[in-house]
Amino acid sequence: MRCPLETTENVELLLAFSSGELSGERAAVLQAHVENCAACREFVSGQTAVWDSLDLWEAPPVSMDFDRRLYQRIEGQSSWWDRFVLPFRALLLHRGLPVAAAAALVITAGLLLDRPSAAPVAPLRQSAQVEMQPDQVQSALEQVETLQQFSHLLRSESPDSQM
Amino acid sequence: MDERVKTGMGGAAAALDLDAELMLRVKEGDGASFGVLLNKHRASVVHFLYRMVQNHAVAEELAQEVFLRVYRSRETYEPTAKFTTWLFRIATHLALNSLRDGKNEKSQERLDADSGDLPVRQVSDNRPTVEARMVYEVRLEEVRRAIAALPEKQRAAVLMHKYEEMEYSQIAKVLNCSESAIKSLLFRAYETLRARLAHMA
Repeated sequence: MRCPLETTENVELLLAFSSGELSGERAAVLQAHVENCAACREFVSGQTAVWDSLDLWEAPPVSMDFDRRLYQRIEGQSSWWDRFVLPFRALLLHRGLPVAAAAALVITAGLLLDRPSAAPVAPLRQSAQVEMQPDQVQSALEQVETLQQFSHLLRSESPDSQM
Repeated sequence: MDERVKTGMGGAAAALDLDAELMLRVKEGDGASFGVLLNKHRASVVHFLYRMVQNHAVAEELAQEVFLRVYRSRETYEPTAKFTTWLFRIATHLALNSLRDGKNEKSQERLDADSGDLPVRQVSDNRPTVEARMVYEVRLEEVRRAIAALPEKQRAAVLMHKYEEMEYSQIAKVLNCSESAIKSLLFRAYETLRARLAHMA
């Protein structure tokens, strides 16, 4: 058998042999070679030591709240699109486009109808004051005076006033 | 490594990959399947990242990001490779970025603090003696430092090979290089580790 250490490509055989992954005829052939090859013996001995050393290193357990934190992040990052479109995704996939389109139309209409006025209140009041001109005020006062005269005339002609 | 972690990796068909099937269900809006995937791969991803960055808090933070990216990519997911190949590609990408950004630059100082959480090998009376514990700690520290001293790609390859028991072809896909390059990478990595750890036999 050609020494596996002569080519990097075949060194995987020795790695597998060192970790006990090889079995059957291949393992037996390699075992026979290793017994007669000092370089391979040293390789296998060293690699077995590395393998055993790495086995010492156990990772700590995952935190109990890992999933809770993850789902919180998922919830926090879910977009407007996710919230409004995903519930109708099943309709889109299984019942076809018309049902999904109708649902989307209903949502859109609802949003438009329920939409609050975009204009703030304070600027409206301010603009009403600014737009009132002096001649308009005078005209309004004249109309009030006319109405008062008309009202007075009506009272003087009413039956109650004659009594 | 490529900046973009693609969901489709081309090449190997993954028709029999149960994880890929679960991911396709997630794509169709089945949140429970995401829970199954999380339950199945949570520990291996966190442990891989922990051994990469050697800091438990950073590892968990990175693992959260891994699963968050998996969830966010559900719409564009295509099962063109094994699910775990994709998963570990994301994990490796994030770990290498974290190491390069130096986010865990104090990890070595935190090793002592972390070691308190680690399981300790028991002796026959089920309680480690002080001496046994000290020997274990020293050996463990040597292993950690030997792994941390490896170049990043070699480190990732060794961890996937040893702890995740991945085949060369899968490691090659995760690290985006050829299978022969992975064999060469692992050969050099184990050569370095043998030089540093052979005395522990």
